[in-house]
Amino acid sequence: MTPLSLDQPWGRGLSATHEHLFADGDALPTKNFLPRGLGRSYGDVCVNDGGALLHSFRRDRLISFDEVHGVLRCEAGASLADIAQVMVPRGWFPSVVPGTRYVTVGGAIANDVHGKNHHIAGTFGRSVQSIKLRRSDTGAREIGTTDPTFGATVAGLGLTGLIEEATLQLGVLPGPGIAQDTTVFGGAGNIDDYVSLDEASSAWPYTVGWIDTLDPGLRGVFFRGEHCDGPDEWLAPQPAKFTMPVDAPGWVLGRWSAKAFNSVYYRAQSMRTARRETVPLWQFFFPLDAVTAWNRVYGKRGFVQYQFVVPREAARESVPKILSHLRESRVASYLAVIKSFAAIASPGLMSFPMPGVTVALDVPGPNDADRRALDRADAMVADVGGRVYAAKDARMSSVMFKRFYPQWEALEAARDPAICSSFWRRVTR
Amino acid sequence: MICVVGATSAVAQAAIRDWAARGDELVLFGRNAAELERIAADARVRGAVGVAVHAGEITSIAFIEAAVATLPITQQALVAHGSLTDAARGMEDLRYLAEQFNVNFISGCAWTQCLANKMATQGSGSIAVISSVAGERGRYSNFAYGSAKAGLTAFCDGLRARMLARGVHVITVKPGSIDTPMTASMKKGLLFASAESVAKGIVRALDQQRDVVYLPRYWQLIMTIVRAIPERVAKRLKW
Ligand SMILES: Cc1cc2nc3c(=O)[nH]c(=O)nc-3n(C[C@H](O)[C@H](O)[C@H](O)COP(=O)(O)OP(=O)(O)OC[C@H]3O[C@@H](n4cnc5c(N)ncnc54)[C@H](O)[C@@H]3O)c2cc1C
Repeated sequence: MTPLSLDQPWGRGLSATHEHLFADGDALPTKNFLPRGLGRSYGDVCVNDGGALLHSFRRDRLISFDEVHGVLRCEAGASLADIAQVMVPRGWFPSVVPGTRYVTVGGAIANDVHGKNHHIAGTFGRSVQSIKLRRSDTGAREIGTTDPTFGATVAGLGLTGLIEEATLQLGVLPGPGIAQDTTVFGGAGNIDDYVSLDEASSAWPYTVGWIDTLDPGLRGVFFRGEHCDGPDEWLAPQPAKFTMPVDAPGWVLGRWSAKAFNSVYYRAQSMRTARRETVPLWQFFFPLDAVTAWNRVYGKRGFVQYQFVVPREAARESVPKILSHLRESRVASYLAVIKSFAAIASPGLMSFPMPGVTVALDVPGPNDADRRALDRADAMVADVGGRVYAAKDARMSSVMFKRFYPQWEALEAARDPAICSSFWRRVTR
Repeated sequence: MICVVGATSAVAQAAIRDWAARGDELVLFGRNAAELERIAADARVRGAVGVAVHAGEITSIAFIEAAVATLPITQQALVAHGSLTDAARGMEDLRYLAEQFNVNFISGCAWTQCLANKMATQGSGSIAVISSVAGERGRYSNFAYGSAKAGLTAFCDGLRARMLARGVHVITVKPGSIDTPMTASMKKGLLFASAESVAKGIVRALDQQRDVVYLPRYWQLIMTIVRAIPERVAKRLKW
């Protein structure tokens, strides 16, 4: 796997100049660099403007596999796409996958990513048994889950050293299909329907909702799925059908086109006769991967994703409040995803998930007004004890960051002195 | 069994993955022992039934002869080692230039010849040799590399004719620009192909016993045009 861009993050729109270095298994640079995976983070956690990026996507070898217990040792530049492609035919699958499979193991650890099964499996870091970490000051060392460095490295934003290898527990896969069930919810301007549906679905391994943030009624579609068998053609992913060849024109960004898109999408979902169907797991987990360079949809100005989580007790009240604030501030969005996190402890000091409800929405080419609205939303999130996800961010203020992650100084203390990112400089200012 | 020379190159690694995925048996040669071990481990996890590695000075004739002598029956081979010569440095440093010719031309011919002789005793086999479109015309920017590849291309083309009656197939592979760690810092045009796609072309060419393949195919057209440019124009181009 190669990144779409060596400089830009997924959300694009940043101007950054880098020196590009490639991890080769030897000594690390001694000043100002940042480890990098496939650059699928939306903002500047994978950017180091004015410094070097140490790319690890070529260090992507699988090292050993225990077929009996499903334990894989691999280099940190291996992508979940590659691992899934090799392992699905053998009946194994990564324990946790984000909404794209084009992420590296190192990146998945460094952001401690979550997936549609958070309520069962917790974060990606929980499937990591051991990490080989190389620091510029103390060299390479194997760290297990009880080592204090482990907690700083998982969700450590690449700052504690270069992750060179990792040992992962994969999950058993009964077949390449997902039995999916779709239900529409909402309309009354709250998330009560969603919460009841979600609670009633806790036995399903994968659950996620799509919510129309432009609709005052907050209508949405709830998906739940479980692994099942499927035809052999589903063992391998379909190659991407379409590449965004150029940047989309500006009007695609607009609020009206978002509104139209959301209505059409909602109607298509609610009119579908088959509410239960079996789909290839690739389509269920990674719908956006079907379009290469899908991020060009939002044009040259780029976009950020705003993903926040609020604690369970506060969710029913604060989620609708925050969403109506964003709607009234005209922060347009096509896709908003809603998901509940369970009370499963994350192994990372700085992990994003907490027991509660998370919402992620795209904000194309944010202008000053959008930024102010998002700052206001940050305050609403902080007031109820929630936080915003660093992997998707390019804008939160350092004041807010420190409220979301009061433990940040422990990561600063564990930081490799030669490593930094644009994100870290920005939020720890 | 498939034998790979220069197994640590990006294209070779990608081809090895494809062969591993279909359960082939592999023997890998290269300079860097630690890297070879990693590539072998990767191939095993991906499904290769047996992988042996031999690290050594792959430009040494003694090593080449000894290595090929130990090979079991070999149906397919890939000769993939090479080095992107810095043309400007070669103009100042003749020892460097000679070393580069040794890597890109002489040792490439030696491996191909040695493998072909072995396959002739088996009565069958196919060898894909990675040359380059750079060998089709000496250009301002990379004539040192290009001339070595021109030699390699001519050698393979002739050897193919010689070995025809003995059941051995020699394939000249001419990739265009490949997107690898070596080229990552270059400004990239649309013409850069991934190592993975070039590797797929090589795997296919070996299975189909092709003669000469351009990878990706549009390079055949591009090179037809490049060759047609009159020398009095070409000599003024800094390309
Ligand atoms: C379409 C899409 C859907 C997504 N869905 C989800 C989702 O559902 N859930 C979720 O949690 N996230 C999601 N994400 C975010 C994505 O999973 C994370 O940003 C992930 O970390 C990206 O991995 P990467 O390999 O691209 O790493 P990069 O973005 O390149 O880097 C991410 C961080 O990891 C560090 N890093 C990378 N490699 C190493 C290494 N070898 N050693 C040390 N540090 C390293 C970097 O320094 C950086 O801080 C999504 C992203 C996209 C584009």
